[in-house]
Amino acid sequence: MRRALLLLGSPKAGASTSGSLGTYLLLRLGEHGLEGGQRRVGEVLRAPGGLDELAEAVERADLLVLSFPLYVDSLPAPMIRCLEALAARRPGSSSEGAPRFVAIVNSGFPEASQCDTALEICRRFAFEAGFPWAGGLALGGGAAVDGRPLERAGGMVRNVRAALDLAAEALARGEPVPEEAVRLMARPLAPRWFYLFMGNLRWKRAARKHGTLRRLHDRPYL
Amino acid sequence: MADEAYVLDGAREGDSAAEPVAGELLRRLGDAGWRAEAVRLREVEIAPCIGCFGCWTKTPGRCFRDDGAAEVARRAIRSGLLVYVTSVTFGGYASPLKKALDRMICLVSPFFQVVDGEVHHRPRYPRYPRLLGVGVAEGEDGERDRVFETLVHRNAINLHAQRWAAGVVRSDAPEDRRRVRLDELVRRVGGPP
Repeated sequence: MRRALLLLGSPKAGASTSGSLGTYLLLRLGEHGLEGGQRRVGEVLRAPGGLDELAEAVERADLLVLSFPLYVDSLPAPMIRCLEALAARRPGSSSEGAPRFVAIVNSGFPEASQCDTALEICRRFAFEAGFPWAGGLALGGGAAVDGRPLERAGGMVRNVRAALDLAAEALARGEPVPEEAVRLMARPLAPRWFYLFMGNLRWKRAARKHGTLRRLHDRPYL
Repeated sequence: MADEAYVLDGAREGDSAAEPVAGELLRRLGDAGWRAEAVRLREVEIAPCIGCFGCWTKTPGRCFRDDGAAEVARRAIRSGLLVYVTSVTFGGYASPLKKALDRMICLVSPFFQVVDGEVHHRPRYPRYPRLLGVGVAEGEDGERDRVFETLVHRNAINLHAQRWAAGVVRSDAPEDRRRVRLDELVRRVGGPP
């Protein structure tokens, strides 16, 4: 049976949007006959021998899926650490027999295009480490998903589900992520003004809860 | 301090390519009039960012973790020029540098604003340093260099840097060529005010 391995890059211990996207894709791949497994980057790095175990799991897989949040226009540092280790274990490797590689990135900014550089870095990793690049998907406004399973996140994420459905079908056939899936995933989840309004409200609510509303603009390093 | 260049030396342990470039860059910056100082990030204890956003809402402007990242962020925002030195890793930054950068989101506000049609976080501080990104890599690879320069540019936008420059220095180039390249990058980002 063919295997898909999901590597989750969110540093959050609990539910995350990266998890929502990655596990949904894994479920859909399962319907197309791919057995799924997943690893969390944080756990891989903390476990003794975790990177070796990850490298072995990657070698056994037919498809490697990275799902991560955009951090400073790129991948979170622990995910880069994992990719550095995977690449170091495959010096000068040919891509023959290596799992195909697909990346899903979600950003707190509403524009999916802000993920472009992170996807370029993923593509470069695939090229340098000898994994056939199967494409990337970028979601803007990922905070609106807030770690909920996509099946229960309502109509707001219908394009996200459709994008991942299309991607799963194509990936299971051995094809790259279709352009239509990329376009659907990049569609805004909500009008920008609404997302900004809700986003700014979210910070104020959190500050009120922590009793820091009047200190939100503090400059402790001046 | 406006005339201070703070160099984040992101070389990994045993990174024979990036280490000498960081040293040479300090001299080039000094010649250009900067008071340049470097921090070797691999020697600083920095835990990875856990994405809790506590530095925006719980302890505004600083991370709840009291490790080496706090001093790096403090020095960075007070400098006139922030410099990244890293081995180019898949077109981006190596993990030691990225770990420090992930912990610097406390330097901006959680609130949003639109800049050139894109949403970004508002500034927290009245002034931000210029940004210089120096990547070190072997051989010619235009695409790799373009990804690196784009990444530094994107960071400059998000860190409200009024001026920025970025480029890749070839680790396999003769020493004098590397020096010329570093001088060119320092010139592009400009001298102290």
